[in-house]
Amino acid sequence: MGLLDGVFDPPFRKRRNGRYTVNLSEGERQLIEDLALDLRELLTTDSPMLQRLFPPPYGENEERNQGYSALAGSELVERKFAALDVVTGTISAEDLSEEEVEAWMRSINDIRLVLGTVLGISEDQGFEPSDEATQALHDNYEYLGMLLERIIRALSN
Amino acid sequence: MSTTAPLEVMEPDTGTDSETDAPWVVLVWNDPINLMSYVTFVLQKLFSYSKAEADKLMMQVHTEGKAAVSHGTRSEAERDVFRLHEHGLWATMQQD
Repeated sequence: MGLLDGVFDPPFRKRRNGRYTVNLSEGERQLIEDLALDLRELLTTDSPMLQRLFPPPYGENEERNQGYSALAGSELVERKFAALDVVTGTISAEDLSEEEVEAWMRSINDIRLVLGTVLGISEDQGFEPSDEATQALHDNYEYLGMLLERIIRALSN
Repeated sequence: MSTTAPLEVMEPDTGTDSETDAPWVVLVWNDPINLMSYVTFVLQKLFSYSKAEADKLMMQVHTEGKAAVSHGTRSEAERDVFRLHEHGLWATMQQD
């Protein structure tokens, strides 16, 4: 890795016309698509892996949480589906609108939240992979974190 | 970290929505997964905070465990919580 890697050729770059140039390899696009499709599938379940995506808004007041969930829960899932659909629908694109980049950002963050939940990421302990599969999940988690930083940097320009 | 496991005993709803006019506050809680830069960016985007204001709130979340990011009626607070959840932040609401 050189110091200037990605400086001149970042994965997401805002152009003067307000649109974004995407510079990702085939392998990166394939990985993002696979993870997006995995999350789409997971969202049709009530897996505990999703707990971080749907925090209870009223803390420990279960009655109000259920009331909120009945009203807003399905809409929240729909929004997450919609963002994932943007990602998979533009997975090969080299040119994205700001709205599309923000959908990528939210989906990548959601995938990261699920991976972090599965990995049991916590504030105070370093990550110790227990096997190769866990190491692979962690590599994806780290990669998406890097990508998210680059998206935020591009959107902040 | 809190969990979403259901409580054994439900807390009684102590009143109706009109029990008091006290405003609701929306809190963002610290979590070990979300990136600091992401939290700052989302607070700027959703609430039109300046970079400096959003950074300050993010650091409060990070160091103190939570920060109040908006205030309003119950329905305004629910809308803000929804938008924060749409962006993957750990947000809750409570009455002041």
